[in-house]
Amino acid sequence: MDSDPDEELLARVAQGDPAAVRALTGRKLPRVLALAGRMLGEASEAEDVAQEAMIRVWRQAPTWTPGVARFDTWLHRVTLNLCYDRLRRRREIPTETPPEQVDVGPAPDRGLEAADVGRRVGSAMQALPDRQREAVALCHYQDLTNIEAAAIMGVSVEALESLLSRGRRALRVALSDMVAP
Amino acid sequence: MTRDRFLELADAHGSAVARWPAAEREAAAILMAAEPEFARQSLAAADRLDAALDLWAPLSVPQGLREVVIAAAPLARPRGGLRAWLLGAGVGAGLAAASAAGLVFGVVLSGNLAAPTDAPEAVRAAMAGYDDLSETTEGA
Repeated sequence: MDSDPDEELLARVAQGDPAAVRALTGRKLPRVLALAGRMLGEASEAEDVAQEAMIRVWRQAPTWTPGVARFDTWLHRVTLNLCYDRLRRRREIPTETPPEQVDVGPAPDRGLEAADVGRRVGSAMQALPDRQREAVALCHYQDLTNIEAAAIMGVSVEALESLLSRGRRALRVALSDMVAP
Repeated sequence: MTRDRFLELADAHGSAVARWPAAEREAAAILMAAEPEFARQSLAAADRLDAALDLWAPLSVPQGLREVVIAAAPLARPRGGLRAWLLGAGVGAGLAAASAAGLVFGVVLSGNLAAPTDAPEAVRAAMAGYDDLSETTEGA
């Protein structure tokens, strides 16, 4: 395993260094929140998951053993577990109204059309089976390698590739008017 | 690399060959050099989907969430904080003890010169070597 770029910061967090806490929050919270948003498609639930995941980081830091696992891999797994807890709860306790979709409000340099397209993509992602959505979220949006994503998902790289293919094919169908030549 | 495999990889991993499995990138680059038109057409469809996916922006972190997360981290006390407090308290207690001892010593000294019959009970107890004032009051 290559050296873990987060290890030094994590060691300082374990010592209660406030600057390290701020730095690790700045580095990881956006990634954790983004992943939870992709998986859950709902902003407030994603924020709850991100908060809980970071609290687990603070708890884990003092006992973290360097070299056993990559910290970012562990954090992605924790975040996904929390997301799956939420998804299970949704199925067990069906709500009358579907969860509000992530608001992807237009960035200053993008128009309303881009925001609408973003919402459509978000809806198409939410319609995917969980494991396909997870594969696309990890590889496309979190920019992880196939080996890292497969490790996080606990599958072979071949199985990951199959999930990615099926997921992207379904997205291509759902967004066919947008992605046609 | 076969054409079929190239298409499979584009289908699964998208148009950015840099995101493809590391072990297959070199073979893909060779095929792209050998068959540029096939590669261009194969990657174009994947590229359109990638571009659409990128329009779904990630959630941005609300300031309140950042603050809550940072506040939940167990931070070390300021360097020497507790120790400095204890040390300060110790010095203070030491000074107070020294003052009291000085007072007692002064009273004892003066007591040797003249019996302080009107001295406060506590002072008389200290002079008599009692720790507890109740013993002197009970015995009185």
